[in-house]
Amino acid sequence: MPPAEGVMLEKNYLWRVYWRLAGVIMLCVVLALAVVSYFSHRVFERELVPETEQKAATVASSVRALLLKATGYGVPFASLYGVEQTFREVIDENPEFSFAALTDTEGRVLFSRGDEPAGARDYFRRPAVIAVGLDPSASWRNEQVGKDYIVSLPIATDKPVGMLHIVIDGQFVENVLLEVMLDVLVVLVVSLFFTLELLNFMAGARLASGLGEFQHQVDRMRGGDFTATARIRANDEIGRMLRRIDAAIDHLNVRYEFLVGELDEKMRSAAGARREALKPAAGALEGIKQRLRFGSARKESDGDEMNLNRIRAPLFAFILAEELTRSFLPNYVNQLLVVIPGLSPQVVIGLPIMLFMLIVALGQPYLGSWSDRIGRRRAMLIGASIATVGFGATSVAVNLYDLLLWRSLCAIGYAMVFVAAQGYVLDRTGQHNRAQGFALFIGAIMVATVCGPSIGGILADNIGYRLSFAVSAAVAVISLIAIARLPSGEVRTQVSARPSRGPRMREITALLFNARFMTLTGLAAMPAKMILTGVCFYLVPLYIVSIGNTSAMAGRMLMVYAVMMVLIVPLSATLSDTSLRRDRYVSAGLIISGLSGLLLLLSDSFLVLFGVVFLLGLGQALSIAAQSALVAEHCQEEIRIYGHDAVYGVYRLLERLGNALGPLLASILVVFWGYQGAFVAISAVVLFCGLAFTVASRGFDVPEAQGAKT
Amino acid sequence: MGTIRVRFILVALVVSLFAVGMSAFLNYFKYKSTIGSIVKSRVLLVGRGIENSVQASLQVGMQFTEIGTLSQLLQREQSSDRLIRGIDVFDSAGQVIYSSDRARVGQKVPETWLRAAERAKKTEWSAEATEDYVAGISVRNAFNLAVGFLALRYAREEVDRAAASAGREILAASLTAFAGVAVLAPLALIIVIRRFERDLRTLEVAAGHLEDKSPAQQGPRGSAFDSAIGSLRTSLDEANKSLDDLRAKLDAAG
Repeated sequence: MPPAEGVMLEKNYLWRVYWRLAGVIMLCVVLALAVVSYFSHRVFERELVPETEQKAATVASSVRALLLKATGYGVPFASLYGVEQTFREVIDENPEFSFAALTDTEGRVLFSRGDEPAGARDYFRRPAVIAVGLDPSASWRNEQVGKDYIVSLPIATDKPVGMLHIVIDGQFVENVLLEVMLDVLVVLVVSLFFTLELLNFMAGARLASGLGEFQHQVDRMRGGDFTATARIRANDEIGRMLRRIDAAIDHLNVRYEFLVGELDEKMRSAAGARREALKPAAGALEGIKQRLRFGSARKESDGDEMNLNRIRAPLFAFILAEELTRSFLPNYVNQLLVVIPGLSPQVVIGLPIMLFMLIVALGQPYLGSWSDRIGRRRAMLIGASIATVGFGATSVAVNLYDLLLWRSLCAIGYAMVFVAAQGYVLDRTGQHNRAQGFALFIGAIMVATVCGPSIGGILADNIGYRLSFAVSAAVAVISLIAIARLPSGEVRTQVSARPSRGPRMREITALLFNARFMTLTGLAAMPAKMILTGVCFYLVPLYIVSIGNTSAMAGRMLMVYAVMMVLIVPLSATLSDTSLRRDRYVSAGLIISGLSGLLLLLSDSFLVLFGVVFLLGLGQALSIAAQSALVAEHCQEEIRIYGHDAVYGVYRLLERLGNALGPLLASILVVFWGYQGAFVAISAVVLFCGLAFTVASRGFDVPEAQGAKT
Repeated sequence: MGTIRVRFILVALVVSLFAVGMSAFLNYFKYKSTIGSIVKSRVLLVGRGIENSVQASLQVGMQFTEIGTLSQLLQREQSSDRLIRGIDVFDSAGQVIYSSDRARVGQKVPETWLRAAERAKKTEWSAEATEDYVAGISVRNAFNLAVGFLALRYAREEVDRAAASAGREILAASLTAFAGVAVLAPLALIIVIRRFERDLRTLEVAAGHLEDKSPAQQGPRGSAFDSAIGSLRTSLDEANKSLDDLRAKLDAAG
């Protein structure tokens, strides 16, 4: 029976509450950050300005030595050659200096370079300043003029000849803090996602399941089901409310039992006319039994929503531990690089990422049945423990060889936790809430991909790569604790009770030579993954650092990608489901992804790189949801022959092999064409695949609405 | 105070602690790296002057190991800035060949200096010692080959003291900001979740009076759950009516 109108509001109702709460929390956080920034600015200005003035004095002394050397050769002070060029070098090498000038003993400017601040000439002519120039014992003086700071140094041979002035840009503290501000902005975005995750973890899971159960209760009672549940309720508002409904149902059940007992009693002792008189009552009871149900409720395995929600926090923490390393891993590998004969350093840098992806790709199909056997929670505990050791050991890696070993541990742990968590969701969901269960699963991963790389980049820049890996290990430990708090009892629904298995070689071979299957897998799924790992996990971190930027900036870039995914995937999934032309979404996604790297043909500017990541995120978001749905849509014949598990198993295996191939392909392209060339070439490959897929998929039939819902 | 409200407030405090903590962390490390780089660039300026002298000597054909005036120059330059604790020039084997401190000549520099110098992509490099920071310049000949390395040791306590002092102030500001949030956030949250709490209270009260017939006893209305509660009441009423009917028939049978 469908739920009553107005009762279905709980989920949206809760989300409205969450967003309002998140808004208030963000407002408070913004205020707090403003306070911290204001005081930090004051500290920066007070402490950095004197140090910079000291530096300006040292620079000025060095320039003065040069000037004195030249005048020592007899060149008149007012006719020195190359002074402005020297000033230009000084300003270029020290971005905090905005202007340099040489004045005579009367404060007249002889040579200058840079942006002259307002009031500088008046300052140079001030008697107090000129007096310093005429004082043979004076060292240097400093003064704030307007917003800027001027450091003045007297120049004297056997007699005073003039003064050298260096202007420190008053904006330089703001410029220093601007970079902090970008990171603070990242912290704000991450805080918003943390807020929503925590609201869900600390209050929402209980609220959602409580309100969900309330709605379920309403639906049951509308359907005439008054069976009593023997659940232990929490002592909070929702728990108390559910207890009261339980009590009302209990009253009804007691009354029913009493009436049934009384009727039974009377029927047993009655005979003849008396028995006839009881017939209307017996009829009424029969009618009640047909319409209503009393007694004890069956134990339901389908509605374990509370425990389903509990997977989100450990999964989020675990994935976050891995995502933290995304923005700096290639640069860390670069530090530990050893020469491997026959392999270019660029390829060697990509090896740990490739190995990680390969282990995950090959391990996942077979770890599913393993986690079935030993239990989801236990599998997750083992996986998270192995990964924790991997993260910890990576932080103290000696060279590339042991790093490969430690990253392999991380990969094994990752594959175990991923598969077991997927199984956990499958175990606790039925047909009616499977999509909701996987939305929760994917949601946790997506939020981790938004928060991880950006925070990881910030950490790496400030505390170094090794300590950042130690932080990852600590986060993995937190995930271990959260996993340990999951219910230890295993649950099986009808679907999940069926043992899962990895694809067999026979099936892999047959599907590899199947044109329809390979059109989708080889031209869409694999290239999409190749460009993702090749560009995001390998090229972006390395390229950004190679052009003098930081890991934090690489993290911000990867955050752009993740935010695009979070925003666009739900929208594109809905639209592609509605339009039933999923192939068009896949084509458009691939072509946009393919065009992304080509932007670097226009310019290598930072803004263009931002555009590359933006377009890549958009392209991937458009195609990702439609791709896997297309397998069921267009490979129905193959699914009929080999089975759903086998077809999807091979599809996922090949897709993940694309993940492993991405860094390898990107690194080889870097060897031949450099970073920009690699961006362009890998994008061109994907663009070609996108166009080929578009042409090949023109023969695909548009499915009927019924078949489209996969 | 309701447990849900406490949980929401806890979320606000945890998130604020994270954001304020990260902000303090970022500001502190930015300050430390900025002051560190300002001081280092100041020290390197002195180093550049020395390097120019060495280059001038090399250009007139002198051997790197035979620049007689270099030790005096190093002593002079060291005394020009109180921050600099010593200046060494060492060869590619790590042996000190000139130093502002004569006793160091012939000694080996730590392996980390040599590694840092060799790994640096530019001519400038840096390393850390227990008590000193080291700013270095690789001295290259006309063929761009490193003939030696210049290392300027400067007191880390100056940078560390400045960072610690700034760190204390940033920490104080952060704690103040967090304390402000700890007061403000619960108040703001209470205002925002008032309606939600009222809805839950209404629901709780209504759930306690599901079997009451008169509207006065049924408790307040106007929450987002009115229709759900209404549906529960109707279901219970219908079930009770059926049982009433059964009761009546039983009674009628005598």
